[in-house]
Amino acid sequence: MLLLESMEEEIRQNYTEAEKLQVFHDEFMPHINSMYNFAYRLTFDEDDANDLVQDTYLKAFRFIHSFEKGTNAKAWLFRILKNSFINDYRKKSKEPAKVDYQDVETYYNSDDVDRQITPDLRVESLQDMIGDEISNALNSLDVDFRTVIILCDLEGFKYEEMAKILDIPIGTVRSRLHRARNLLKEKLTDYAKQMGYKNT
Amino acid sequence: MPDSTTSPEGKKLSCIEMLQLMLEGDATLEQQQNFKAHLDECMPCYKSYNLEVTLKMLIKSKCNGNGAPPELVEKIKTQISQNMPH
Repeated sequence: MLLLESMEEEIRQNYTEAEKLQVFHDEFMPHINSMYNFAYRLTFDEDDANDLVQDTYLKAFRFIHSFEKGTNAKAWLFRILKNSFINDYRKKSKEPAKVDYQDVETYYNSDDVDRQITPDLRVESLQDMIGDEISNALNSLDVDFRTVIILCDLEGFKYEEMAKILDIPIGTVRSRLHRARNLLKEKLTDYAKQMGYKNT
Repeated sequence: MPDSTTSPEGKKLSCIEMLQLMLEGDATLEQQQNFKAHLDECMPCYKSYNLEVTLKMLIKSKCNGNGAPPELVEKIKTQISQNMPH
């Protein structure tokens, strides 16, 4: 059961059929809007997002005996969705190849990491972005950078949870997020310039 | 003895490390108070912190989509109930 490996020590839960349904409806279904939004922002296609969410929920139900009632259902569901995306969708999509993390890690092991890389973007210009600028800027990021922003800033996962969802060390979560935020700010700086802020 | 501006290993935290701790939401109450006081003395931190917090709030309010289509929700519920023994 590759899907569940390394998430938690798997202990089989003995749910009755009624309990399975209850767990599914009470603990899994409340996250469906977040799940759909995540799926859509990964695939940019409504049909693919529908399929991805549906596959995720069916998998979660199939493996419900490995889910302990009252634990972090949201993180578990996000992990399944992320894995389904990589295994089933990313392969067939035209999504460019993964970011070369060697470059990213090299960058973060350099002195640059301590540099406060803040594009000169002002709070005021951000607040004037009342249209789709923020959403478009997020969508323009490479999928791995987009993902960490969604998990952290949109869904409020802690770094430790993100590390489990993404199967990466916490240090990598931190550095990838830092890089993702800087890329997002660079993009928003461009938008601000287009909007006519001379001194963004 | 590490104080609130040092890491557990006793290393002094840089501005960027303090900022990250605040943004992670993992800063202790004392670290939060110290950071807030630090903002009065460090303009780059003040600007970065406000920008990051604003950006986080904007992402949360602008990027959460319109929710899952009701047909999808119904389809999943139907499939699950069909998987159950009757």
